[in-house]
Amino acid sequence: MESSNVIEVKNITKKFKIYFDKGSSLKEKMLFKKRNHYEERLVLRGISFDIKKGEAVGLIGKNGCGKSTTLKMLTRIMYPDSGSIDVKGRVSSLIELGAGFHPDMSGRENIYTNAAIFGLTRKEIDHRINDIIDFSEMEDFLDNPVRTYSSGMYMRLAFAVAINVDADVLLIDEILGVGDVSFQTKCFEKLKEIKKNGTTIVIVSHSLEQISRICERSIWIEEGKIKEEGVPEIVHRHYLTQMEEIRLQKKETDREKNGTVENELPDIPKGCFDQAVRTGNQSVCISEVKITGESLKKGNLLPIRNSFEISVSYDTDISVVGKISISILRDDNILYCYSDTFIDTQKYITFDRAGTVRLKVEGHYLAVGNYIVHIVILNSENHVLDSLQHALDFRVIADENGYETIPMEHHWFLEHTKIEEE
Amino acid sequence: MNRVAELWAYREMITSLVRKDLRGRYKGSVLGFMWTFINPLLQLVVYTIVFSTILKSGIENFYMFLFVALVPWIFFSSALTTGATCIISSKDMVNKIYFPREVLPISYVTSSFVNMLFSFIVIFFIILFSGIGINGKALLYLPIVMAVEYLLALGITMLTSALTVYFRDLEHILGIITMAWMYLTPIMYNVDIIPERLLPIFYLNPMTPIIIAYRQILYYREVPRMSTLLHGFLLGLLFLSIGWFSFSRLQRKFAEEL
Repeated sequence: MESSNVIEVKNITKKFKIYFDKGSSLKEKMLFKKRNHYEERLVLRGISFDIKKGEAVGLIGKNGCGKSTTLKMLTRIMYPDSGSIDVKGRVSSLIELGAGFHPDMSGRENIYTNAAIFGLTRKEIDHRINDIIDFSEMEDFLDNPVRTYSSGMYMRLAFAVAINVDADVLLIDEILGVGDVSFQTKCFEKLKEIKKNGTTIVIVSHSLEQISRICERSIWIEEGKIKEEGVPEIVHRHYLTQMEEIRLQKKETDREKNGTVENELPDIPKGCFDQAVRTGNQSVCISEVKITGESLKKGNLLPIRNSFEISVSYDTDISVVGKISISILRDDNILYCYSDTFIDTQKYITFDRAGTVRLKVEGHYLAVGNYIVHIVILNSENHVLDSLQHALDFRVIADENGYETIPMEHHWFLEHTKIEEE
Repeated sequence: MNRVAELWAYREMITSLVRKDLRGRYKGSVLGFMWTFINPLLQLVVYTIVFSTILKSGIENFYMFLFVALVPWIFFSSALTTGATCIISSKDMVNKIYFPREVLPISYVTSSFVNMLFSFIVIFFIILFSGIGINGKALLYLPIVMAVEYLLALGITMLTSALTVYFRDLEHILGIITMAWMYLTPIMYNVDIIPERLLPIFYLNPMTPIIIAYRQILYYREVPRMSTLLHGFLLGLLFLSIGWFSFSRLQRKFAEEL
C-alpha cells in the first residue's frame, strides 16, 4: 500500500446469488434440489481506485449499479469475490444510523452501546460524550428511553455518535437527509470540519449537489465498472446528460410501444441543443435559434470579452402580445445574466406570423467556463408559450493574449509607496 | 494476532452486550435478577428430593455429586444450543454495521459463563451450609478448570453459530445432540462404571475431563490430577482452534446469507 493512500481498492468483483425460491433447511435442501435455482448476478466487474488521506470522494450511479455494494465492502460488512481492499485506520460508517439502538434503554445508555459498536472503549466514550450530546442537541431527552423519540431525534442522536467517533475513514450512504434544514447544515459543517482534520470521506448519494459540496472527486459507477472519474462538476454533467438520454430513449420506446403520446411537443427547433427541454403550448413557436459572433470558433468556443449574438426565430398562427427572455447560466446553475424584451423598453412586442429577435452582446463579462442559454417566450400575462431550457451552450475560452478573467472597474491607490520611474 | 488486538479494542462492545444480556434475561419478572440464584436453588431442591427419596443411589450426598457437575454442564449446553443462534439473532447488526463478528459468540459465552458463576455462589452456600466442607488447596484449581471450560464452550459456539447461519436446521439437531452428549458425559454417574473398552471413546469427549475435574475439586475435595487438567486443556484448545478457524472462514458471507 502506498503511504499516502488510505483506501486502496484493486480490481474487486462481486457476485450475488439471486434465489428464485430458497430453501435453507435440510429437508428443503435435500428434497427440492431442483428448487434451489438461482441466478448469479455480477454486481461489480472489476473496480479499482485509490483514495488519499483527507480526500472526499463521491460514488454516483443509478440504482443497482454497485455503488452501495462497494461501500459495504469498504466497511467490511461484505467481502469481494476477487481483488483486494485495503483500508487504513478506524472506519466509521453512516450507513444504517442507529444500528444496535435498544428502544428500552435511555439515550445516554444508547450512546455508550452504539459507540462501543464502533470499537470505542469506555474511556474514549467518556471523553467524547459531551461533544456527542452537544451535537445532537438532545440534552433534555437524554434520560428518556429511545422508543419515546421521534424519528428525527433518533437520527440526530445516531448521527451525533457516528460522526464523533474520530474515525480515519468515514463512509456515508444516502443519509444526509436527516433532520431539519438547520441540522443538515450543521452536519455539512461538521463533515467539512472533520475533513479538514484529515478524515477521509466516501459518500454514496443520489443527491449530486451534496456530493459537489463536500467532495473534490466523483466516481461514476455503471454496471459494476467505473465509467468516469474526476472533478464532480464534469463527471456529474456527463452523468446527467446520459441519464437524460436514457430517459428520452425510454420515452421513445414507450412511444413505439403505445403508439402516439398525447400532448406531444413539436421537435426542437433548428440550431437548438438536441437535448433541450421544451415546455409551453407553442402558440408562438420558436423555429430556430442561433449563436453567432465574429470571433466565435467552431464548437461554440467564444474568446473572453468578445461580442456575440443570439438570434431567435419564431412563427405563429395567431397574433400574440408578449416578450422573449434569454438567460445565461454557468453549467453549475449559477444565473449570470437575464434579460427580456420588456425589461429594457417597458414595452411588449407583438408576435405575428414569423419573425426573428436578436440579442447582441457587445463584449461580455463572462469568465472562462461553460455556459447554458435558456430561451422563453411569454405572453403579457407571463404565461409560458414556448420555453427551451438549455437551448444553446457555449464555452468561454481565453483570448489570444491569454486573459482568463474578467476586468473589474478598478483603481490602484498607493500610500507611502512610490512608483518606480523608468 | 491482529484479530486478537482488534477484539481487545472492541472490549467495551463485549462488556456492554454481556451487561445487556444479563440484565435482559429476567426483565419484566417480579423477582428479576434474583432468579439467577433462585433457579439453581430450586433445581437442587428437586434433585435432592428425587435422589434421596425415590431414586436412591449408592453414592453419598448424591444431590451434591450431581449438582457440581450439572451446573458446568448447563453452561456448556447453553453455549451449544442457544449459542448457536447468537449470530442469527443479531442479524440486524451484522447486516448493517461492521464489528469483528467474533464479538457475538464471545459475549454470548461470557454472559452464560457469568451466569454459571452466580450458580456457583449457590453451590458454595450449600457446601458451607450442609457441612460438606471445602479443600482450600483444591479450590485453587477451580478457576483453571473454569477457564478451560470457557475455551471449549467458546470454540463450540463459534463453530455452531457460524454453521447455523448457513444451515438453520442445525439449531434443532443440536437439541438432540446435546441430550445425547449429556448422557455420554459422566454427569449422573461416575467414570468407574464405564466399561474399560469404551473408555478411550469417553476420553475423546472434551467434557469428560472437565466434569471429572470439577467433581474432584468440589465433591471429593481433592486436587485434580495434572493429566486430567492437561487432557481437558488440550481438547479445549483444539476445539477453540477449529471453532475460530471455521468461524473466520464462514463469517465473510454472513451479511449475504442473513
